[in-house]
Amino acid sequence: MLDNMKKALDSFSNKDVSFADIRLEDRSGTFFLVTNGALRTFNRSSTAGSVARALVGECWGTASSSMPLKGKGYLELLEKAAKRAKACSKYSRREIDLSGTEGIEKTIWQKVKEDPSNVSAEEKIELVMALDKAQKIDEKIVSSNSVYQDSRRIYRLVNTVGAKLEWDESRVRVMTQAVAREGGNLQIDYDIEDGTAGYELARNVNPEELGSEAAKGAIELLSAEKPPSGKLTTVIDGNIAGLIAHEVCGHASEADEVVKGRSFLTGLVGKEIGTELVSMVDDGTLKGPMGSLPFDSEGTPSSRNPIIENGVFKGYLHTLETAVLMGVQPTGNGRAQDYNRRISARMTNTFFDKGDWKDEEIIADTKDGLYIIKGTSGMEDVVGGGVQATALKGYIIKNGEKTQLVRRLSIAGNVLELLKTVDAVGNTLVFNGGNCGKGEEDFIPVSSGGPHMRVELTVGGG
Amino acid sequence: MDLSTTNEKILQLAEKGGATQAEAFAILVKTSSVYIDDDIAKLGTAQTELGFGLKFIIDKKIGYTSSTLTFESIDDFVSRAASMARVSDPNPKFGSLPSPKKVSGNPERFYDKTTAQIDSEYLTEKAMLVVYNASADNVSVPNGTLRASSVDFNVMNTLGVDAGSKSTMVYGYFTAKSEASGSVGEGVQRCWSRNIADIEFDRIGEKLKEQALNVLQAKAFTEKWENIVAVVAPSEGAQLLDALIGSAASGEHVNRKSSPWTDKVGDVVAYEGLTVFDNGLSEEGLLSALVDDEGAPMQKTPLIEKGVLRSYINDSYNATQLDLESTSNGMRRGARELHGSFVSPVSCRTTTLEFSSSSKSVDEIISEIDKGVFVEHFAWPQVEPTTGSFSNEIRNAQLIENGELAGQIKHALLIGNLYESLKGDLRIASNLELQGISDVGNNGSSIIPTIAFPGTELVGQ
Repeated sequence: MLDNMKKALDSFSNKDVSFADIRLEDRSGTFFLVTNGALRTFNRSSTAGSVARALVGECWGTASSSMPLKGKGYLELLEKAAKRAKACSKYSRREIDLSGTEGIEKTIWQKVKEDPSNVSAEEKIELVMALDKAQKIDEKIVSSNSVYQDSRRIYRLVNTVGAKLEWDESRVRVMTQAVAREGGNLQIDYDIEDGTAGYELARNVNPEELGSEAAKGAIELLSAEKPPSGKLTTVIDGNIAGLIAHEVCGHASEADEVVKGRSFLTGLVGKEIGTELVSMVDDGTLKGPMGSLPFDSEGTPSSRNPIIENGVFKGYLHTLETAVLMGVQPTGNGRAQDYNRRISARMTNTFFDKGDWKDEEIIADTKDGLYIIKGTSGMEDVVGGGVQATALKGYIIKNGEKTQLVRRLSIAGNVLELLKTVDAVGNTLVFNGGNCGKGEEDFIPVSSGGPHMRVELTVGGG
Repeated sequence: MDLSTTNEKILQLAEKGGATQAEAFAILVKTSSVYIDDDIAKLGTAQTELGFGLKFIIDKKIGYTSSTLTFESIDDFVSRAASMARVSDPNPKFGSLPSPKKVSGNPERFYDKTTAQIDSEYLTEKAMLVVYNASADNVSVPNGTLRASSVDFNVMNTLGVDAGSKSTMVYGYFTAKSEASGSVGEGVQRCWSRNIADIEFDRIGEKLKEQALNVLQAKAFTEKWENIVAVVAPSEGAQLLDALIGSAASGEHVNRKSSPWTDKVGDVVAYEGLTVFDNGLSEEGLLSALVDDEGAPMQKTPLIEKGVLRSYINDSYNATQLDLESTSNGMRRGARELHGSFVSPVSCRTTTLEFSSSSKSVDEIISEIDKGVFVEHFAWPQVEPTTGSFSNEIRNAQLIENGELAGQIKHALLIGNLYESLKGDLRIASNLELQGISDVGNNGSSIIPTIAFPGTELVGQ
């Protein structure tokens, strides 16, 4: 296939096109959902498609198709992409020169201990059923939901600067979600284990523990109170720290938002934006978290990129284009949801780095405040640097001790202000996987993470 | 590859392979897009995707598989589904695939030829029209997307269902950035339609500029206002209410016992002035078609009438458990994302929610409010549908005092419980708008006016 793609690219000739590539994606996956003891969904998918890109001036065109293609088909796809680029190029104001891009020839197959495709469906069903059964710890649990999911994505890429690449990404996810009810009061809790891994990740899950913990959490939330609202001293767990890292600092570090001056972090390299306890990294090379990958969707190797070091802002996450525009090396952050979607600057595994405090020491050291745990969602504010994130629960801290449980809350604040209030950072790092969108779409697998941190935040909810 | 001919072949092979029942779904989606970046048309795209889904059933054992058939044959595809069903765990709750029902109407009723055949230059010009009308000395358009899709699908099952529909859809999303004296502001505008000719791109640009400039005037809100009225624009209300009603009225969640509206049909769940239909045949609806994605003829279903819960939405699986008929809400397609919709089996989801309106303008509604906030844009409008709680950061909002707008604000959270607010004294405006929904699990559309929700709290940062 790679040879067919390469031949098509070699025979493609268009005087206006300065750079072109073809990417082929072959995706397969398995999904099991058990609800209230019954296998609700057993799904296997096999989707594939090719996408060609062409660059004219500073404008791109792409064309994609799920049809089986050979040489002529790839050539037609390239011509279609060139036509789209040409249509936009009447607005082009400059040339983007990608000729200096390194053309790598390499094949990297992910090493997993146990290929999920070699594990029987019966065994996977048994796991999901066990997860579901483990949630039935009390009559108050009115709904139990359990998921096992694996996926493998195989990529092949050629480009006009000589890249010829093949690689794959395998991911596994196990999830439980319990719903507890008491009268009209309904509450949910969840637990997830996920990562770039084989079936060994699922084997390491204790279904009784993962299921019952979600159920216990949902039952406990039935007696939770509404959280206090207003500006508070908070201790956030690694999950919430990761949400802040990802949504605010991460998205605003995506260099395509910087080259056009939309990001609030534009022009801040070398500036102090947090206390010296604050360090933040995006690292696509980590072994295990969901956002790890050998190459991005443009064929650039993933890398470790410091974003904040000891409070000082260090740099951005780049595509091929933004790297050229800013005169730096590409960082392997040009990612696309799939062959139907554009490539843009995106995160991989984004996290606040750990500090010296033990988690319990941070709580014990906090006289009055709120301990916030388990994030549920977040939204970026690239322009303003505002935080919006929601958490499932928290505890009031009084005299250094966790007291009353509080339910679902939102946190808000301006990141350039709140990072200057961080005065304690824990020594244990956790990662949580998820699907990240840019704006309102283009979802890709990532992880976010961090240690426990103490920070001033605005809180509300209930 | 003809959709119905391929589906027929898939079903023949499935029956030969031992399926007691089988359902084949085929969908062809073609999309043309242009992305705005830093005030110019930066990227033009063309996508074609053909996908198939097969539900293979042996008694109550079910396997669902999907494929683009790019690297595998139809035989391999069907064999995979058969092998899945054989090892699957029986689902005692499964009754049967839907039986055929009479489908009437032209399959191209919701299809606009101009939109389907749009060329890249025309699409680029329309997107740039937004840019030109939004731009000013201190306003730029850093981001935008405009795309037009055509979709053709067929669903067939071994009980005799053989139906499909064609439709078109246009989606646009634009942001504007304003700057003055070290302050920055952002405007956001979306547009949705089945026909590109219906969209006034110059007006979207003007509105975008106005929003971005208004936000520049915003002052940080530092107080805490309790028990106030939140007047919420259609774009934000659509996301909140579709997430809430789409979840609470879903037969899937009722059967899972995770809906607070379980066993509540006939009960008051909302203000008496609120009526909501789910209408799969809505003339404007983005997912409108002759049939849903399991071949049931689309219908208009009353969900809430004058505040009283009248019905749940159901696909065939959930309807069977509730001893009801499907309300034609077995959906795969989504308003935001048509590509890839064959990958999952149907789920019970809304099509187009049609909300009642009144004769009152938004200004009249605001004039009736002593203390409140008028929200045009949240960071991301979210509600937890199991409990109804929400707390959303406002990005573009104005205070309301003594019936008048009293200044743009920023840095505040709007907090409340949407189930409680719905039952309060809602005020509903006349300005119905079509909005697409892009929340996880809810991917239809709404025709909804501005609505004022009582009992909310505004907390400054």
